[in-house]
Amino acid sequence: MNAILEAGGLSRNLPGTPPVSLVTDVSLAIQPASFVAIVGPSGCGKSSLLYLLGLLDRPSSGSLRFQERDMNSLDGDERAQIRLANFGFVFQFHFLLPEFTALENVLLPMRRLGRLPLPDARAKAAALLTEVGLGAKMDKTPDRLSGGERQRVAIARAIANDPVLVLGDEPTGNLDSQNSARVVEMFRALAHDQGRAVVCVTHDPDVAAAADVQISMLDGRISGTDVRR
Amino acid sequence: MMGQLPLLGRIAARHLAGRRRQTLVAVSGVAVGVGFFLAVSAMMIGSQNDFIKTLIDAAPHIIISDELRSPHPQPGVEVHKGAAIDLRHYKVRNEVRGLRGWPEILRAVNAQPGAIGSPSLTGAITLRSGGREEALTVIGVDPSVEEKVSSVADKLRTGHLRDLESTQGGIIIGEEMAQRLGLGMGDVVGATSASGKSRSMRIVGLFKRGQSQLGPSAGYVLLREAQSLLGRPFIVNRIGVHLDDPYGAQPVARRLEMRFSYKAESWQERSADFLSLLVTRNVIMYSVVSAILLVASFGIYTVVSNSVTDKRRDIAIMRSIGFSERDLQLIFVFEGLALALIGIFAGWLLGYGLMAILGSLKFPIAGDNQYLPLDRSPRQYAIAAAASLLSGVIAAWLPARKAAKVDPVDILRGAV
Ligand SMILES: Nc1ncnc2c1ncn2[C@@H]1O[C@H](COP(=O)(O)OP(=O)(O)OP(=O)(O)O)[C@@H](O)[C@H]1O
Ligand SMILES: [Mg+2]
Repeated sequence: MNAILEAGGLSRNLPGTPPVSLVTDVSLAIQPASFVAIVGPSGCGKSSLLYLLGLLDRPSSGSLRFQERDMNSLDGDERAQIRLANFGFVFQFHFLLPEFTALENVLLPMRRLGRLPLPDARAKAAALLTEVGLGAKMDKTPDRLSGGERQRVAIARAIANDPVLVLGDEPTGNLDSQNSARVVEMFRALAHDQGRAVVCVTHDPDVAAAADVQISMLDGRISGTDVRR
Repeated sequence: MMGQLPLLGRIAARHLAGRRRQTLVAVSGVAVGVGFFLAVSAMMIGSQNDFIKTLIDAAPHIIISDELRSPHPQPGVEVHKGAAIDLRHYKVRNEVRGLRGWPEILRAVNAQPGAIGSPSLTGAITLRSGGREEALTVIGVDPSVEEKVSSVADKLRTGHLRDLESTQGGIIIGEEMAQRLGLGMGDVVGATSASGKSRSMRIVGLFKRGQSQLGPSAGYVLLREAQSLLGRPFIVNRIGVHLDDPYGAQPVARRLEMRFSYKAESWQERSADFLSLLVTRNVIMYSVVSAILLVASFGIYTVVSNSVTDKRRDIAIMRSIGFSERDLQLIFVFEGLALALIGIFAGWLLGYGLMAILGSLKFPIAGDNQYLPLDRSPRQYAIAAAASLLSGVIAAWLPARKAAKVDPVDILRGAV
């Protein structure tokens, strides 16, 4: 199977004296329908790598190919368009827009992409929220939802545009064990049932245990890759 | 691209709804700016129009008088054209006062499209009644023509200009003079001219008080009455010209003067000092108004700038979802646009209300109830809206650029 995302010798330095190395010479390939966990001690560069893979940041050197297209040569608008249509993000803190209801938050990427007519988009957003167990709370604003509920809204929003790649940065970092287990199960389903690639930075041993591939990092480099499936 | 605009507008609206108090302040700023612009410009332009109308109507649009701006060229200079002749201390032949060949000038005036000329003769006489004497500048006119050329008829308290024709020896004088002579309508007064001629005249009309352009000691009689009283038969020393388009007076005056060499003065030339005063007034008005609008746009700048700062996290979210830099910039420009539009609408209502109040104020001047002259043309509403919109969009655009430059990675790192 062809890799959906391929990094070759990816590095990211912050200029300065001396320069700070966030990520050094990282090469990896992410396969569709796989759940990949990135683990490592705090400050080893996991988040920095995820931002590079998610086109939120640009590497200082190295190549990045998404669906066999070179990503480095694209301008900001083109990269934004790729994120919009193909990627979904889930961060440690829910990161919902506070003025919008759960449903409107999920609608946001769909309306921006504009592929679905509004009534269809609404129906789909409602279906996604029902799927994550929030069918009764979709008209609530984030301040009326619990942390676990907000994270589920964020997951529904991340997959609203049917992304081929879902990127998570410690999505369970702020949740209790029950809510964490639920999120892990959702991520597994996104990969195994829906065929998306899921890349998840985590400290959580339960998340790491559920992954198909576990990539370990140390000091900005990959220190080991453990394929379980 | 266009499809995004409603979505971006909705996001902008939600942002504003979340900061009501600041929004209200910014909108009020624009509203007050627009409202006072409308009220002030209505008064300024209204009074200016009124003033110009007064200037235009104070006297005929062009006055051709029996004055020469320069003496006739001397025969010696005429004969040797271009030669280096410089005559000094020669005696200028005195013109017999009066417009020579005035019927021809009058024909030339009336031949101009939209022009009517009214010939008149002005001279000094003395009015006598019961031992009292008053000097009077008497103007002899043809009432039916003079009515069309000047606004004399509007200035009458009683009587009509045409009554001069129907009453033998009729005269119209000012209320003040009549009072000083102890006379009223229909009374008879003795008139004597410098040439020694004398006759009795009957008052057929009175001018209102305070007609400064007319002067308190001017009076009207029939043209031929003036000619005979002043001992200057067939002589006319002034032709007043009325134009359908008063703003075209200058070129017409210049042409007439070129042709007949008598001084032909347009109302603009006559009122050049006042007109330059109006320019200053306008400069002052527009600078005050620009300052008001500028201050109003500070409010918009503050709201949008605060909004960008407060919403850095939301900006990062939207950028990670896939909104472009342009989208983010537009969201915040729309915030400014919305503030400006609401402010403009509220300002229109405010301005309309202020004008209604100003328009209802009564000022008793010289016994008449006068109202403020107000210019309520939609043009002023449009100017106020355009200026506020432009300054509002610029005020929003400056901080909106910062929104586009927010790096989502900085925010995400900070939050995790
Ligand atoms: N702007 C910055 N300036 C200097 N150093 C930075 C900056 N941003 C990040 N770093 C450093 O880069 C390294 C990698 O950071 P990163 O956030 O990728 O680590 P991480 O593995 O995600 O850590 P954690 O598990 O705590 O989230 C850290 O040592 C961090 O201190
Ligand atoms: Mg991290």
